[in-house]
Amino acid sequence: MASVVETRTPDLTGPIARAGDGPADRRSFADVAREHLDRLYGFCVRLTNDPSDADDLVQETLLRGMRAYDDLRDASRAKGWLFAIATNASRDLFRARGRQVPTVPYDTIDAEGDEFSLFQTIAIEDPFPYSDELHLDFLRLFRDDDVRAVFGSITPVFRLPLILTVVHGFSCKEAAAILEVPLGTLLSRLHRGRKQLERGLWDYAVTNALVTTTDEDE
Amino acid sequence: MIDCTEAVRRMWAYLGHELDAKPVAEFEFHLETCQRCCGELEFSRHLREVVAEGEGATPVPGELRWRIETLLAKADEANRGTA
Repeated sequence: MASVVETRTPDLTGPIARAGDGPADRRSFADVAREHLDRLYGFCVRLTNDPSDADDLVQETLLRGMRAYDDLRDASRAKGWLFAIATNASRDLFRARGRQVPTVPYDTIDAEGDEFSLFQTIAIEDPFPYSDELHLDFLRLFRDDDVRAVFGSITPVFRLPLILTVVHGFSCKEAAAILEVPLGTLLSRLHRGRKQLERGLWDYAVTNALVTTTDEDE
Repeated sequence: MIDCTEAVRRMWAYLGHELDAKPVAEFEFHLETCQRCCGELEFSRHLREVVAEGEGATPVPGELRWRIETLLAKADEANRGTA
């Protein structure tokens, strides 16, 4: 695979790289890469939204990781370190292919969307009148493919913090380091992502006739 | 004392164990008197599980895994050479 244009390397002097043991008493890069490969690949798929680009991105990430592994001080943080490399490599990949690097679309800030509450909407719309577990029954409507479709509709800059924290279990501080944004920015984007997710799940359920709304009943 | 709006804002951070002691105490105090937020907390817990299950690890396709294994085998070889 041709290496994409490399405009910078991950910040290996940051908290992910600097916090622990020396390089002598640790596993090989190949072992570390194998352990995290499926999760890393899943992350690359979400970063690119394109299977072919994801293939290139995961390989580019591993190549960069291989070159820089000696500089990683704390091997227990290798997963976050690999995700940070993938995030940086994705920006380079987008630039090399003339794709727009995802940024925050300030003009789409939507106060109504920010106020949307899925919990409240389900309670008001009451799509399962005879259910004892109204809210859980709503979630049970969604298969993995449905969840992926909704996730794909979330603005990328708001989706990534959700993926890093909720899916991959990183703390907000770690996610902020991976995405190279201040913690406050990360928290704000996480909230927006959550609200887009809630709105997306409801809209998906209505659009795909998984639920019937009161408007349709009338 | 926090209201429902603030409690809902803190909910996911609470579930992710991201809050400091004081915000946690305020949040849990609110829950003691608010059935609605207790319900939304439980719902949020399940919602996060649905998302985590649907979006997690993705098996690497066969041909790509073969290419990656070739790459990693070279890394192993280089590692043994320098050990």
